[in-house]
Amino acid sequence: MPEKISILQIILGAIALLFLINGFLKFVRNEKGQTYFKILATLFIWGNILVFSIFPDLTHIFSRKLGLGENLNTLIFIGFVVIFAILFKLLNIIEKLERNISEIVRRQALNNLKDKLKEK
Amino acid sequence: MTQQDSKIYIAIPAFNEGEIIDKVISKIKSVGFDNIIVIDDGSSDETFLKASEAGVVVFKHLINRGKGAAVKTGIEAAKILSADIVITMDADGQHNPADAERMIDLIHSGYDVVLGTRLKKGKGMPSYKILANYLGNFFTWLIYGLWVSDSQSGFRAYSKKAIYLIDTKTDRYEYDSEIIKEIKRNKLKFVEVPIEVHYTEYSMNKKHKQNLKNGLKTLIKMIISE
Repeated sequence: MPEKISILQIILGAIALLFLINGFLKFVRNEKGQTYFKILATLFIWGNILVFSIFPDLTHIFSRKLGLGENLNTLIFIGFVVIFAILFKLLNIIEKLERNISEIVRRQALNNLKDKLKEK
Repeated sequence: MTQQDSKIYIAIPAFNEGEIIDKVISKIKSVGFDNIIVIDDGSSDETFLKASEAGVVVFKHLINRGKGAAVKTGIEAAKILSADIVITMDADGQHNPADAERMIDLIHSGYDVVLGTRLKKGKGMPSYKILANYLGNFFTWLIYGLWVSDSQSGFRAYSKKAIYLIDTKTDRYEYDSEIIKEIKRNKLKFVEVPIEVHYTEYSMNKKHKQNLKNGLKTLIKMIISE
Protein backbone atom coordinates (compact mmCIF):
# COMPACT_ATOMS: atom_id res chain seq x y z
CA MET A 1 0.00 0.00 0.00
CA PRO A 2 1.26 3.54 -0.69
CA GLU A 3 2.16 5.61 2.36
CA LYS A 4 -0.29 8.46 1.68
CA ILE A 5 -3.70 8.06 0.08
CA SER A 6 -5.58 11.19 -1.01
CA ILE A 7 -9.34 11.72 -0.70
CA LEU A 8 -9.62 11.59 -4.50
CA GLN A 9 -7.99 8.15 -4.52
CA ILE A 10 -10.40 6.93 -1.83
CA ILE A 11 -13.46 8.26 -3.74
CA LEU A 12 -12.28 6.78 -7.06
CA GLY A 13 -11.44 3.46 -5.41
CA ALA A 14 -14.83 3.33 -3.65
CA ILE A 15 -16.69 4.06 -6.92
CA ALA A 16 -14.71 1.37 -8.76
CA LEU A 17 -15.36 -1.12 -5.96
CA LEU A 18 -19.07 -0.28 -6.03
CA PHE A 19 -19.28 -0.92 -9.79
CA LEU A 20 -17.27 -4.14 -9.44
CA ILE A 21 -19.53 -5.52 -6.70
CA ASN A 22 -22.65 -4.40 -8.58
CA GLY A 23 -21.48 -6.01 -11.84
CA PHE A 24 -20.49 -9.22 -10.08
CA LEU A 25 -23.82 -9.49 -8.19
CA LYS A 26 -25.79 -8.86 -11.40
CA PHE A 27 -23.86 -11.65 -13.11
CA VAL A 28 -24.26 -14.08 -10.19
CA ARG A 29 -28.01 -13.37 -10.04
CA ASN A 30 -28.18 -13.98 -13.82
CA GLU A 31 -30.05 -10.71 -14.34
CA LYS A 32 -31.27 -9.76 -17.82
CA GLY A 33 -28.51 -8.80 -20.27
CA GLN A 34 -25.68 -10.39 -18.27
CA THR A 35 -23.04 -12.21 -20.29
CA TYR A 36 -19.45 -13.40 -19.89
CA PHE A 37 -18.40 -10.56 -22.18
CA LYS A 38 -20.06 -7.97 -19.96
CA ILE A 39 -18.63 -9.32 -16.69
CA LEU A 40 -15.14 -9.56 -18.21
CA ALA A 41 -15.39 -5.97 -19.49
CA THR A 42 -16.61 -4.79 -16.07
CA LEU A 43 -13.80 -6.61 -14.26
CA PHE A 44 -11.20 -5.25 -16.69
CA ILE A 45 -12.30 -1.59 -16.71
CA TRP A 46 -13.31 -1.10 -13.06
CA GLY A 47 -10.61 -3.48 -11.82
CA ASN A 48 -7.98 -1.35 -13.54
CA ILE A 49 -9.46 1.87 -12.14
CA LEU A 50 -9.42 0.36 -8.63
CA VAL A 51 -5.81 -0.83 -8.93
CA PHE A 52 -4.56 2.46 -10.41
CA SER A 53 -6.45 4.54 -7.86
CA ILE A 54 -4.71 2.69 -5.01
CA PHE A 55 -1.33 2.37 -6.73
CA PRO A 56 -1.05 5.48 -8.96
CA ASP A 57 2.71 4.94 -9.36
CA LEU A 58 1.91 1.93 -11.51
CA THR A 59 0.86 4.35 -14.30
CA HIS A 60 4.46 5.59 -14.54
CA ILE A 61 5.74 2.02 -14.86
CA PHE A 62 3.14 1.27 -17.55
CA SER A 63 3.84 4.57 -19.32
CA ARG A 64 7.50 3.62 -19.56
CA LYS A 65 6.77 0.02 -20.57
CA LEU A 66 4.24 1.15 -23.23
CA GLY A 67 6.73 3.67 -24.51
CA LEU A 68 4.48 6.63 -23.75
CA GLY A 69 7.29 8.34 -21.87
CA GLU A 70 6.20 11.81 -20.92
CA ASN A 71 3.06 12.53 -18.92
CA LEU A 72 1.62 14.68 -21.73
CA ASN A 73 1.55 11.64 -23.97
CA THR A 74 -0.24 9.73 -21.26
CA LEU A 75 -2.83 12.49 -21.07
CA ILE A 76 -3.35 12.39 -24.83
CA PHE A 77 -3.72 8.63 -24.63
CA ILE A 78 -6.34 8.97 -21.86
CA GLY A 79 -8.08 11.63 -23.97
CA PHE A 80 -8.46 9.14 -26.82
CA VAL A 81 -9.88 6.56 -24.43
CA VAL A 82 -12.42 9.11 -23.18
CA ILE A 83 -13.40 10.07 -26.75
CA PHE A 84 -13.95 6.40 -27.61
CA ALA A 85 -16.04 5.96 -24.46
CA ILE A 86 -18.21 8.96 -25.44
CA LEU A 87 -18.54 7.61 -28.99
CA PHE A 88 -19.62 4.26 -27.62
CA LYS A 89 -22.21 5.94 -25.39
CA LEU A 90 -23.56 7.97 -28.34
CA LEU A 91 -23.87 4.83 -30.47
CA ASN A 92 -25.77 3.27 -27.59
CA ILE A 93 -28.19 6.20 -27.47
CA ILE A 94 -28.74 6.04 -31.25
CA GLU A 95 -29.42 2.32 -30.95
CA LYS A 96 -32.09 2.96 -28.32
CA LEU A 97 -33.73 5.58 -30.56
CA GLU A 98 -33.71 3.10 -33.45
CA ARG A 99 -35.48 0.56 -31.26
CA ASN A 100 -38.13 3.09 -30.35
CA ILE A 101 -38.72 3.87 -34.03
CA SER A 102 -39.08 0.14 -34.76
CA GLU A 103 -41.61 -0.22 -31.95
CA ILE A 104 -43.71 2.64 -33.35
CA VAL A 105 -43.57 1.12 -36.87
CA ARG A 106 -44.52 -2.30 -35.44
CA ARG A 107 -47.48 -0.98 -33.48
CA GLN A 108 -48.74 0.88 -36.53
CA ALA A 109 -48.42 -2.27 -38.66
CA LEU A 110 -50.29 -4.42 -36.13
CA ASN A 111 -53.05 -1.89 -35.42
CA ASN A 112 -55.23 -3.10 -38.28
CA LEU A 113 -55.07 -6.69 -37.06
CA LYS A 114 -56.14 -5.74 -33.56
CA ASP A 115 -59.03 -3.65 -34.98
CA LYS A 116 -60.17 -6.53 -37.20
CA LEU A 117 -60.11 -8.99 -34.29
CA LYS A 118 -62.12 -6.55 -32.16
CA GLU A 119 -64.74 -6.26 -34.93
CA LYS A 120 -65.14 -10.05 -34.93
CA MET B 1 -51.52 -31.57 -28.44
CA THR B 2 -51.31 -33.19 -31.85
CA GLN B 3 -49.95 -31.57 -34.99
CA GLN B 4 -53.49 -31.17 -36.34
CA ASP B 5 -54.70 -29.45 -33.15
CA SER B 6 -51.93 -26.89 -32.90
CA LYS B 7 -52.15 -23.57 -34.63
CA ILE B 8 -48.98 -23.18 -36.67
CA TYR B 9 -47.99 -19.88 -38.24
CA ILE B 10 -45.17 -19.27 -40.71
CA ALA B 11 -43.73 -15.75 -40.43
CA ILE B 12 -41.79 -14.41 -43.42
CA PRO B 13 -39.95 -11.08 -43.27
CA ALA B 14 -39.72 -9.61 -46.76
CA PHE B 15 -37.93 -6.58 -48.17
CA ASN B 16 -38.23 -5.95 -51.91
CA GLU B 17 -39.05 -9.59 -52.68
CA GLY B 18 -41.90 -8.82 -55.11
CA GLU B 19 -40.21 -10.87 -57.79
CA ILE B 20 -40.38 -14.12 -55.81
CA ILE B 21 -42.68 -13.79 -52.78
CA ASP B 22 -45.74 -15.34 -54.49
CA LYS B 23 -43.70 -18.41 -55.50
CA VAL B 24 -42.34 -18.78 -51.94
CA ILE B 25 -45.88 -18.59 -50.53
CA SER B 26 -47.18 -21.16 -53.06
CA LYS B 27 -44.35 -23.54 -52.14
CA ILE B 28 -45.16 -23.24 -48.43
CA LYS B 29 -48.86 -23.80 -49.11
CA SER B 30 -48.06 -26.84 -51.24
CA VAL B 31 -46.60 -28.65 -48.22
CA GLY B 32 -49.73 -28.01 -46.19
CA PHE B 33 -49.18 -24.77 -44.27
CA ASP B 34 -52.00 -22.27 -44.68
CA ASN B 35 -51.39 -19.85 -41.83
CA ILE B 36 -48.77 -17.60 -43.36
CA ILE B 37 -47.81 -14.12 -42.18
CA VAL B 38 -45.75 -11.90 -44.47
CA ILE B 39 -44.18 -8.76 -43.07
CA ASP B 40 -43.36 -6.30 -45.79
CA ASP B 41 -40.47 -4.36 -44.26
CA GLY B 42 -40.96 -1.06 -46.09
CA SER B 43 -40.47 -2.44 -49.61
CA SER B 44 -40.53 -0.09 -52.56
CA ASP B 45 -41.62 -2.80 -55.00
CA GLU B 46 -44.76 -4.95 -55.25
CA THR B 47 -44.02 -7.22 -52.28
CA PHE B 48 -47.13 -6.13 -50.34
CA LEU B 49 -49.44 -6.44 -53.36
CA LYS B 50 -48.09 -9.83 -54.46
CA ALA B 51 -48.29 -11.27 -50.94
CA SER B 52 -51.83 -9.92 -50.46
CA GLU B 53 -52.90 -11.48 -53.76
CA ALA B 54 -51.48 -14.82 -52.61
CA GLY B 55 -54.12 -14.85 -49.86
CA VAL B 56 -51.99 -14.60 -46.74
CA VAL B 57 -51.96 -12.22 -43.76
CA VAL B 58 -49.73 -9.29 -44.71
CA PHE B 59 -48.39 -6.49 -42.55
CA LYS B 60 -46.52 -3.48 -43.77
CA HIS B 61 -43.79 -1.55 -42.04
CA LEU B 62 -44.06 2.06 -43.21
CA ILE B 63 -40.27 2.29 -43.36
CA ASN B 64 -37.54 -0.35 -43.55
CA ARG B 65 -36.53 -1.46 -40.05
CA GLY B 66 -34.50 -4.58 -40.77
CA LYS B 67 -34.96 -8.33 -40.73
CA GLY B 68 -35.02 -8.63 -36.94
CA ALA B 69 -37.68 -5.97 -36.54
CA ALA B 70 -39.80 -7.61 -39.25
CA VAL B 71 -39.51 -11.09 -37.69
CA LYS B 72 -40.51 -9.64 -34.33
CA THR B 73 -43.59 -8.02 -35.91
CA GLY B 74 -44.47 -11.43 -37.37
CA ILE B 75 -44.10 -13.14 -34.02
CA GLU B 76 -46.17 -10.43 -32.30
CA ALA B 77 -48.88 -10.90 -34.94
CA ALA B 78 -48.81 -14.67 -34.41
CA LYS B 79 -49.24 -14.10 -30.67
CA ILE B 80 -52.32 -11.94 -31.32
CA LEU B 81 -53.64 -14.72 -33.58
CA SER B 82 -53.15 -17.25 -30.74
CA ALA B 83 -50.44 -19.29 -32.44
CA ASP B 84 -49.11 -22.41 -30.72
CA ILE B 85 -46.03 -22.69 -32.90
CA VAL B 86 -44.31 -20.03 -34.99
CA ILE B 87 -41.86 -20.85 -37.76
CA THR B 88 -39.71 -18.14 -39.30
CA MET B 89 -38.39 -18.47 -42.85
CA ASP B 90 -36.54 -16.25 -45.32
CA ALA B 91 -38.46 -14.72 -48.21
CA ASP B 92 -35.91 -15.37 -50.94
CA GLY B 93 -36.84 -19.02 -51.40
CA GLN B 94 -33.59 -20.48 -50.03
CA HIS B 95 -35.40 -22.65 -47.45
CA ASN B 96 -37.31 -25.83 -48.13
CA PRO B 97 -40.67 -25.61 -46.29
CA ALA B 98 -40.80 -29.40 -46.11
CA ASP B 99 -38.08 -29.18 -43.41
CA ALA B 100 -40.62 -27.41 -41.17
CA GLU B 101 -42.48 -30.65 -40.50
CA ARG B 102 -39.54 -32.14 -38.61
CA MET B 103 -39.21 -28.90 -36.64
CA ILE B 104 -42.87 -29.08 -35.63
CA ASP B 105 -42.44 -32.71 -34.52
CA LEU B 106 -39.54 -31.63 -32.30
CA ILE B 107 -41.59 -28.81 -30.76
CA HIS B 108 -44.35 -31.32 -30.04
CA SER B 109 -41.81 -33.63 -28.44
CA GLY B 110 -40.98 -30.93 -25.87
CA TYR B 111 -38.40 -28.56 -27.35
CA ASP B 112 -38.99 -24.82 -27.01
CA VAL B 113 -36.87 -23.73 -29.94
CA VAL B 114 -35.71 -25.62 -33.03
CA LEU B 115 -32.86 -24.00 -34.93
CA GLY B 116 -32.41 -24.90 -38.56
CA THR B 117 -28.73 -25.36 -39.32
CA ARG B 118 -27.28 -25.07 -42.79
CA LEU B 119 -23.87 -26.31 -41.71
CA LYS B 120 -24.82 -29.83 -40.70
CA LYS B 121 -25.79 -30.60 -44.29
CA GLY B 122 -23.52 -27.99 -45.78
CA LYS B 123 -24.69 -28.90 -49.24
CA GLY B 124 -24.98 -26.03 -51.70
CA MET B 125 -23.53 -23.45 -49.35
CA PRO B 126 -20.68 -21.35 -50.80
CA SER B 127 -17.39 -21.68 -48.87
CA TYR B 128 -17.20 -17.97 -48.05
CA LYS B 129 -20.64 -18.22 -46.45
CA ILE B 130 -19.49 -21.22 -44.39
CA LEU B 131 -16.50 -19.20 -43.15
CA ALA B 132 -18.67 -16.14 -42.39
CA ASN B 133 -21.02 -18.41 -40.49
CA TYR B 134 -18.25 -19.82 -38.32
CA LEU B 135 -17.18 -16.25 -37.49
CA GLY B 136 -20.79 -15.40 -36.64
CA ASN B 137 -20.99 -18.47 -34.40
CA PHE B 138 -17.73 -17.54 -32.67
CA PHE B 139 -18.78 -13.97 -31.89
CA THR B 140 -22.25 -15.12 -30.81
CA TRP B 141 -20.58 -17.53 -28.38
CA LEU B 142 -18.11 -14.86 -27.20
CA ILE B 143 -20.74 -12.18 -26.61
CA TYR B 144 -23.79 -14.24 -25.68
CA GLY B 145 -22.14 -17.35 -24.24
CA LEU B 146 -23.87 -20.16 -26.15
CA TRP B 147 -22.36 -22.19 -29.00
CA VAL B 148 -24.61 -23.19 -31.90
CA SER B 149 -23.62 -24.47 -35.32
CA ASP B 150 -25.58 -21.85 -37.30
CA SER B 151 -26.21 -18.65 -35.38
CA GLN B 152 -27.36 -16.77 -38.50
CA SER B 153 -30.02 -19.12 -39.81
CA GLY B 154 -33.43 -17.56 -40.35
CA PHE B 155 -35.28 -20.90 -40.45
CA ARG B 156 -36.40 -21.56 -36.87
CA ALA B 157 -39.39 -22.85 -34.94
CA TYR B 158 -40.66 -21.60 -31.60
CA SER B 159 -43.12 -23.04 -29.12
CA LYS B 160 -45.82 -20.91 -27.49
CA LYS B 161 -43.70 -20.78 -24.32
CA ALA B 162 -40.71 -19.52 -26.31
CA ILE B 163 -42.55 -16.75 -28.16
CA TYR B 164 -43.82 -15.37 -24.88
CA LEU B 165 -40.45 -15.59 -23.10
CA ILE B 166 -38.13 -14.37 -25.85
CA ASP B 167 -37.76 -10.60 -25.69
CA THR B 168 -35.54 -9.25 -28.45
CA LYS B 169 -34.42 -5.67 -28.87
CA THR B 170 -32.29 -5.67 -32.02
CA ASP B 171 -33.61 -4.82 -35.48
CA ARG B 172 -31.30 -6.11 -38.13
CA TYR B 173 -29.18 -9.21 -38.75
CA GLU B 174 -27.95 -9.24 -35.14
CA TYR B 175 -31.45 -10.45 -34.27
CA ASP B 176 -30.55 -14.01 -35.21
CA SER B 177 -27.73 -14.03 -32.64
CA GLU B 178 -29.87 -12.29 -30.03
CA ILE B 179 -32.29 -15.21 -30.18
CA ILE B 180 -29.40 -17.44 -29.06
CA LYS B 181 -28.85 -15.11 -26.10
CA GLU B 182 -32.54 -15.29 -25.23
CA ILE B 183 -32.48 -19.11 -25.39
CA LYS B 184 -29.69 -19.08 -22.83
CA ARG B 185 -31.22 -16.37 -20.63
CA ASN B 186 -34.60 -18.09 -20.45
CA LYS B 187 -33.05 -21.59 -20.20
CA LEU B 188 -35.14 -22.76 -23.16
CA LYS B 189 -34.79 -26.31 -24.40
CA PHE B 190 -33.42 -26.15 -27.93
CA VAL B 191 -32.18 -28.43 -30.65
CA GLU B 192 -30.51 -27.93 -34.01
CA VAL B 193 -31.74 -29.73 -37.10
CA PRO B 194 -30.07 -29.85 -40.49
CA ILE B 195 -31.97 -27.94 -43.15
CA GLU B 196 -31.68 -27.85 -46.89
CA VAL B 197 -30.66 -24.56 -48.47
CA HIS B 198 -31.05 -23.63 -52.05
CA TYR B 199 -29.04 -20.59 -53.08
CA THR B 200 -30.50 -19.33 -56.31
CA GLU B 201 -29.05 -16.72 -58.62
CA TYR B 202 -31.81 -14.44 -57.31
CA SER B 203 -30.89 -14.85 -53.64
CA MET B 204 -27.15 -14.49 -54.30
CA ASN B 205 -27.59 -11.28 -56.28
CA LYS B 206 -29.80 -9.52 -53.78
CA LYS B 207 -28.68 -5.98 -52.96
CA HIS B 208 -29.36 -6.14 -49.24
CA LYS B 209 -27.97 -9.56 -48.37
CA GLN B 210 -25.48 -10.02 -45.53
CA ASN B 211 -21.90 -9.21 -46.57
CA LEU B 212 -18.58 -8.36 -44.90
CA LYS B 213 -19.50 -4.70 -44.30
CA ASN B 214 -22.88 -5.64 -42.84
CA GLY B 215 -21.19 -8.40 -40.86
CA LEU B 216 -18.95 -5.86 -39.13
CA LYS B 217 -21.95 -3.62 -38.49
CA THR B 218 -23.76 -6.61 -37.00
CA LEU B 219 -20.81 -7.32 -34.71
CA ILE B 220 -20.65 -3.71 -33.48
CA LYS B 221 -24.39 -3.70 -32.83
CA MET B 222 -24.14 -6.97 -30.93
CA ILE B 223 -21.55 -5.37 -28.63
CA ILE B 224 -23.51 -2.11 -28.24
CA SER B 225 -26.78 -3.91 -27.53
CA GLU B 226 -25.15 -5.62 -24.56
